[in-house]
Amino acid sequence: MNNKMMISIILGFMCLLLTYGIAIQVKTTNNLGTTTSSNATENKLRDAVLKAKEKYDNLYNDLEEAEKKLEEERANATQNNSELAELESSIQEGNKAAGLSEVTGDGLVITLNDNQKISASSYLGDPNELLVHYTDVIRVVNELKNAGAQAISVNDQRIVSTSSIECVGTVITVNGEKIGMPITIKAIGLQERLINVDRQNGYVMILRENYGIVADVEKKENITIPKYTGVIKFQYAESK
Amino acid sequence: MKIKMKKEKIVMAVTIGIACFALMLVMFMQFKVVRQTDITAIEDMRESDLRVELSEWNQKYEELNAQYEDVMSKISEYQTEQESDEKTAQLLETELEQLNEALGMTNVEGEGIIIVLEDKGGTQLSDGETVKSINIEDLLIIVNDLFAAGAEAISVNDQRIVAMSDIFNIGSGDNSFIRVNGERITSPYIIKAIGNQNYLESAVIGKGGRVDVLKGLGHEATIEKSNKKIEIEKYNGTISTKYLN
Repeated sequence: MNNKMMISIILGFMCLLLTYGIAIQVKTTNNLGTTTSSNATENKLRDAVLKAKEKYDNLYNDLEEAEKKLEEERANATQNNSELAELESSIQEGNKAAGLSEVTGDGLVITLNDNQKISASSYLGDPNELLVHYTDVIRVVNELKNAGAQAISVNDQRIVSTSSIECVGTVITVNGEKIGMPITIKAIGLQERLINVDRQNGYVMILRENYGIVADVEKKENITIPKYTGVIKFQYAESK
Repeated sequence: MKIKMKKEKIVMAVTIGIACFALMLVMFMQFKVVRQTDITAIEDMRESDLRVELSEWNQKYEELNAQYEDVMSKISEYQTEQESDEKTAQLLETELEQLNEALGMTNVEGEGIIIVLEDKGGTQLSDGETVKSINIEDLLIIVNDLFAAGAEAISVNDQRIVAMSDIFNIGSGDNSFIRVNGERITSPYIIKAIGNQNYLESAVIGKGGRVDVLKGLGHEATIEKSNKKIEIEKYNGTISTKYLN
């Protein structure tokens, strides 16, 4: 009699647990149903983003062709008149300076990367010191400008008059586009002057020697710097 | 009786064993499902990011499309005016003007803000600390953050910031000074920016905003948001493209 009661109590307890487990299970599955549906909207969104990007890329290609055509037409219209040809060449030079056309030339390539030798956990100081921050990129770009750079790109994002280098969470963006490590900064200018960025106690050397951050500076010939992929168009500023 | 007892015990053990097995199975399934649910939860968080990205691409498309139409209309203008040198010259001048705008080679005016920073470096605070001077990184960050907030033109002490403008420290210690575009500037630092007033202001105030940070360190800082249009002078240097092919 005692035994039977024991069995029924244990079985009852088991059944209770089992029911409980099943109940949770059913509930989770129900919830899963709703996340699956939001997954569907997410997939739709992802699809829409891809389509929007493709549409943009197509237009970008069209624009590039149109710009080439414009250059041809311009050259055509000015070829028989030296005054006009002069105006035409100042447009070309202006486009180079403004970052609106691709340029090549001799210069420097600087590579920045987080400290690769010391792991953050074994570092006694602030582990943030081992990382490349957006402020470091701003400072190095500023050094290059001071050393007479005439065109600069950061991971192929051309630096133009309204460019900004930001930090979104742990990601650095240039012209609003995300860039990853390592960071490659290209600069065209007089090499003998540009190399001055690697001077004693300069920002680049401090990064390298005080924080062990990778900051390689290399002279290079025939560097190609792409044009700005955005649009410089003023809404608020009016020329007088 | 003894045998019966054994039999009952075996039945009990088997029943409990099966129940335990079933329970374990359910729980195992449960864990698996829960883990999957966690993953979808992370993906769920991305939905808002996706929406932001979508609207960004659409906005970029609109901008690019305006640019495309502009180029197309220029092409047809050059084609129709090809015979007249006078008209061609006009077209070229218009293009150059637009280009000069993008280069910062024109005086501009428009809505914006004026930030005035007065360096209180060297002042002794009540807690015995000395205020650290405003340095080039402060100015670089303010200028950068204003551009990030959509500034279309910026000047620092009337030095227009163009693509290759530098803000540099010359000398060291008490004898150091700041140069913008190679010209020496001193406190008060007056930063003018044209763009949406609210966006510009919010880029430099609040948590992490460099103007508020400088105020917190003991410097004097004001932001002027008047209804009057702000005027920013053109870059007065020359922009060389000697090394660009």
